[in-house]
Amino acid sequence: MSERTRVLLWRLAILVVLVGAWEWLTGIKAISRTPGLYWIDPFFISRPSLIAKRFAYLAGGQVRLSIWQMALSTVQSTLWGFLVGVSTGFAAGLVLGRNDRLARILSPYIIAFNSLPRIALVPLITMIFGFGLLAKVVLAWTIVFFIVFFNTFQGARSVDADLIHSARFLGGSDRQIMRTVIVPSALAWTFASLTPSISFALIGVVVGEFLGGESGGGLGFLIIQSLGTLNAADMMVALIALGVIGIVMALGIKQVEMRLLRWRPEYRGRA
Amino acid sequence: MKRARIVIRELTKTFRDDGRAVAAVDDVSFEIFDQEFVAIVGPSGCGKSTILNMIGGLVTPTAGAVEIDGARVGGVAPPQVGYVFQKDTVFPWRTVTRNIALGLEYRGVPRAEVQRRVREAVALAGLAGFEDAFPATLSGGMRQRVALMRTLVVEPQILLMDEPFGALDTHTKINLHAELLALWEARHQTVVFVTHDLSEAITLADRVVVMTRRPGRIKLVHAVGLPRPRNVIELRESDEYAREYGALWHVLGEEFAGRA
Repeated sequence: MSERTRVLLWRLAILVVLVGAWEWLTGIKAISRTPGLYWIDPFFISRPSLIAKRFAYLAGGQVRLSIWQMALSTVQSTLWGFLVGVSTGFAAGLVLGRNDRLARILSPYIIAFNSLPRIALVPLITMIFGFGLLAKVVLAWTIVFFIVFFNTFQGARSVDADLIHSARFLGGSDRQIMRTVIVPSALAWTFASLTPSISFALIGVVVGEFLGGESGGGLGFLIIQSLGTLNAADMMVALIALGVIGIVMALGIKQVEMRLLRWRPEYRGRA
Repeated sequence: MKRARIVIRELTKTFRDDGRAVAAVDDVSFEIFDQEFVAIVGPSGCGKSTILNMIGGLVTPTAGAVEIDGARVGGVAPPQVGYVFQKDTVFPWRTVTRNIALGLEYRGVPRAEVQRRVREAVALAGLAGFEDAFPATLSGGMRQRVALMRTLVVEPQILLMDEPFGALDTHTKINLHAELLALWEARHQTVVFVTHDLSEAITLADRVVVMTRRPGRIKLVHAVGLPRPRNVIELRESDEYAREYGALWHVLGEEFAGRA
């Protein structure tokens, strides 16, 4: 058996045991024949079989807003927030990383804004941008921007001076050196920030959806709605969907990273 | 008499260290002629790399000046100058061919010509079969070959080399000496080669400049009397080589021992 299958089997075994234990434990009654009294109450954490039932219902045609539509909306907002955050954070990191004076001038503002808990901005962003897609993208952006910015900034500053000198002796102009030396060198740092960025983008979007109401839907809306109806099963459906979305997006980033950083010895032969 | 390509006049460099002024190079003057291969040797910390950096415009002199082809060097890299660093400066994110092509790309050379010249350079440096390899997969000697070809492919008339083979083992080093000499015989660039390895200096150079310990001054300028073209292997067994080495070692040894 290869190492890969072995790991895969272990993962599967853990899943089966956990789900099995969950199903079993939430089925044991505290006092026999008295309905609704459990050692571990499925009212709070639901049961796998119940969740599956609710999932089938939410995925079906009878509901006004299916789980697929909600997931799509969440993914869409997250990707937009991620893309806008990464591109602006990357550009700002490069510019400030190569311009010491500008970096010194702006640093107190950047630090001040970054230490602001982004959750505190949610009401303000809602006031300005409403409840739709834009508000969620802006919220995700305020988080992602700084993560990518700080990494790229470090990367752009730590470019080996002799690489830049070499490029200059080979006849490179400032713009050519930016493109052929500083950007590729900083990219390794930027990539390190992308996996946390997508997670934080998702956090921003879900928080936005908590407030967003049914317009734009989203999994965050499903969670808040389930709180209103005290429906743990629906909440679990939303949480599991968020988990799956998180994994898929992180894997996607890893793929791109392996492709773009294939010159690094640790990626060799894996891309 | 050939014309002087590089004129170094009363060159002085003082660094600030903890508020104290430390003289690295002190009142150094010499000339390097067209197509000449000059080696600068001296103990570490004698300011030989600092001199090279001032010639290349990487370091600004405290006093004195460097002129290349009559123009004073200041701040920017002179276009006719190529520079090979001691440190590995091959770009790790570019393959061998794309590293070598870089200078030609910067200069806007048409793609077909870039390919042709890079192919020649790859063949010349014995890098065939490694065209699409990333530097992380290459040995130190091969990476330095790439760095050398990357610099030579843009055909600089003046070549500044800062201990380019300093990190390599003796065997690789001697192979690269032979290759460098062959390349130099073909084009006769003006070369300034900094090293702490006396045998390397004698093997390669027309003249050897011996520096004193800090603050670096010129101790001696010695013309190497070995005929060209040189065979780097046979050379080392010859009496002339032994005589050159002995004469220079006598002078340089004083500096290494610190009796100067």
